[in-house]
Amino acid sequence: MKLPESFYETIFLFLESGLILGSLGVILLTNIVYSALFLGFVFVCISLLYLLLNADFVAAAQILIYVGAVNVLIIFAVMLINKKQYSNFFVYWTIGDGITLTLCTSIFLLLNNFISNTSWSKIFLMTKPNLVVKDIILINTVRHIGSELLTEFLLPFELMSIILLVALIGAITLARREKKIELEKNDFFNF
Amino acid sequence: MLEHILTLSAFLFCIGVFGLITSRNMVRALMCLELIFNAVNINLVAFSNFLDSSQIKGEIFSIFIIAIAAAEATIGLAIVLAIYRNRKSTRIDQFNLLKW
Repeated sequence: MKLPESFYETIFLFLESGLILGSLGVILLTNIVYSALFLGFVFVCISLLYLLLNADFVAAAQILIYVGAVNVLIIFAVMLINKKQYSNFFVYWTIGDGITLTLCTSIFLLLNNFISNTSWSKIFLMTKPNLVVKDIILINTVRHIGSELLTEFLLPFELMSIILLVALIGAITLARREKKIELEKNDFFNF
Repeated sequence: MLEHILTLSAFLFCIGVFGLITSRNMVRALMCLELIFNAVNINLVAFSNFLDSSQIKGEIFSIFIIAIAAAEATIGLAIVLAIYRNRKSTRIDQFNLLKW
């Protein structure tokens, strides 16, 4: 996508504020249903950010998998589990939370320091000659991702399919196991 | 531009770690884990766009991470459901039923 720089910056500013507010809402809201909905909002903002970064296939995958599958799964789990215990967040504010807050803030400041101290222009210059040669040939990112997945990353791709199968079977067995025992107990009481 | 996005992903990562440590609800901890995965993904996609836009290997890695995160969310929510059936609660500090 070729956009003028100011337009780009404005959209990025909106996405940044949306991401910050959404992620703060995920951890600070007391009602967990709102928190799950804010998580979906954060996922949508991240996929728009991927669109800004020229990664259209990853943006589509983010929408399909995170918003369509993971977020719906989390909302289902919340609705299955929710017990209407709206405890106030600040009542249970302990010393450990304060320590964690200072720790996370210091990690963030440290990372920020490293990011601002690294001279990215030198790294750009180092990778630039590599970039010019192939840039004309491979424009279509989706085609490129497909060919890379089936040639160079073939083994991780197959391993990933096995992991997904194992996760599916494991989730089904974990979620079904207790029900069978309850059925057996009911049969025992019936006899 | 790259620094902005890296700062944003660092912020998301720190928010995720904070929520993962301090949350009392198990489902909220899983949500914060997803936030951490997304921060990592943003980093990978940003680097592959700005530094390696000819052969986009960062995007392929982010696709792998998305698939692993989907599997992890499924397993985690199944475990939460199984523990909830045992304990009738999703508070993390009451999960002392794992024995070895």
